[in-house]
Amino acid sequence: MSAQPFSAGFLKAWIDQAGAIQDLFARFADQSSVGLPPSMPPPHLAPWKEFVDRLGMGESNFSAMFAGAPALGLGREYQETVQRLLDLSRQFQQRYAEFAQQNVAVMQDAFHVMKKRVDAAPSAPSADLYDAWIDCAEGAYHQAAHSDSFARLLADLCNISSAIKVERGKLTEQLARHLDLPSRAEVDSLHRQVRELIATVRAAAGAASSPAKAPATAPAPAAAPAKPSKPARTPRKRSKK
Amino acid sequence: MSATPDSLAQLLQSAAAMQESGRAVLKTMLGMGEIEVGTSEKRCVYSEDKIRLYRYAPLARSAGLKPLLICYAMVNRPYLLDLQPDRSFIRELLHAGLDVYLLDWGYPDGADRFSSFDDYVDGYLRRCVEFVLKEHAIDALTLLGVCQGGTMSLCYAALEPRQIAQLITMVTPVDFKTPENLLSKWAQHIDVGLLTQSGNVSGDFLNLVYLSLMPFRLTQQKYVNLLQMQGDRVQLENFMRMEKWIFDSPDQPAAAFREFIQWFFQENRLIRGELTLAGNAVRLENVTAPVLNIFASKDHLVPPSASIPLGAHIGSKDYEALEIDAGHIGLYVGGKTRKTVPAAVVAWLRKRN
Repeated sequence: MSAQPFSAGFLKAWIDQAGAIQDLFARFADQSSVGLPPSMPPPHLAPWKEFVDRLGMGESNFSAMFAGAPALGLGREYQETVQRLLDLSRQFQQRYAEFAQQNVAVMQDAFHVMKKRVDAAPSAPSADLYDAWIDCAEGAYHQAAHSDSFARLLADLCNISSAIKVERGKLTEQLARHLDLPSRAEVDSLHRQVRELIATVRAAAGAASSPAKAPATAPAPAAAPAKPSKPARTPRKRSKK
Repeated sequence: MSATPDSLAQLLQSAAAMQESGRAVLKTMLGMGEIEVGTSEKRCVYSEDKIRLYRYAPLARSAGLKPLLICYAMVNRPYLLDLQPDRSFIRELLHAGLDVYLLDWGYPDGADRFSSFDDYVDGYLRRCVEFVLKEHAIDALTLLGVCQGGTMSLCYAALEPRQIAQLITMVTPVDFKTPENLLSKWAQHIDVGLLTQSGNVSGDFLNLVYLSLMPFRLTQQKYVNLLQMQGDRVQLENFMRMEKWIFDSPDQPAAAFREFIQWFFQENRLIRGELTLAGNAVRLENVTAPVLNIFASKDHLVPPSASIPLGAHIGSKDYEALEIDAGHIGLYVGGKTRKTVPAAVVAWLRKRN
């Protein structure tokens, strides 16, 4: 039985990896890395990029790989949230670019109308010209704003922003739980309990003041059967005599 | 247009004049101090959570009319109706001897995110109406609803017709899906469930939407026109009061906002007779009290086409529509309308008492 080939291969791979990592840290220590074009990451991040490239996970591949990577293991929830956030940000940028394009079209339409007006009255005072420009711009905008495509574009931007807010909330929620801070879910739960309690009290007060009449407000679903009181979380200590 | 030495000189002269006006405006604004709004004397007679019911101090002998309860919109602050002593819809009513109550929805916060449209109409509004009825030992009062508050008043009048002696709706949307209604067009594709999933809808979001309806006029021309005021303190104070009101939009409670957008803007339930509140169908034909429907011909928020259909859907045989040549806000604070509109309201009420 000879383990030599496997051991040798393993050892070589280990040395290569260790060498690469050692090299990486050595280059981190050396802040004078040069030869990078100005648009590249700052010099002290260059070793990371080179390291990632060497592992076959180049910049573009890495982000693409992360966006589509299956969420596995301990951090899967977190990974999914981050992936959704990245995707939503991309969608937002795309739709916002279309929105900006639409605005450019509106301005061009407004300029065309304005040019006709100026040609018709070339010696108008500047204040009148300004008011005329506002009229032209509002006219062109009004036409675009009433179109279905504009409404859909605005709605998309709003809906994507809302989705980003929801995903961001999930991350904040996780963080709050980790730090043992009151989270949104916890406060919401308390709000619901208070609302049920108010409705119950109001229904009871209404019934007490006019037993023959129905209460003015509809009783909350939880109002009917009184729940048995839960035992206190921390039992009270009885005083010893 | 080609530039000549004359036109260039003219341009430079206007630029210099504008600069001078700008300096005067800035100087006056810096010395203005705090702007006061809603100065008519009033006291809180009922409160619950964030809402307050105010009763205004009389300014004239009682006209012997039924007390009038104003239900304002939730999306703006009600002091627009009492902006300043010489531009006050409420003050005009008080001078005519009316007993005026105002329902102020306050500034909802995170604790109100689950408050539903039911809670506001069948809860808060109901209890305010009942408070006034009890206070005066009467069976019915006059309800005046403004904008969204008009829609809420209509719902209430349909649910409790016997408590309403007269109903006045001002710039109130009834048909939410007319071709002129830009807000409605934009609302159709909004996922309002998603929008409100993260809590209340901020007032800043609402302001952004309002500004987007006429972006060039509302974000540019309005401020350029300031220069024409030449540092006139009174005019600038008026401007600043309005500016304060415009951007003083409360956050909207998530649940109520979601229901309002979905039920009214997207599904147009009110006019289709498909609205249910607190388990009861809201039928406009149940509105049998005399109705005065006031709308503004230049309204860009609630176009006349959204208000006019009311008459055809209510059960009242005493219906009057009044078209005012003004915009959504100008109706209350405009040069002529600030006197003529309250006068028309009082005259209409006098005829029915």
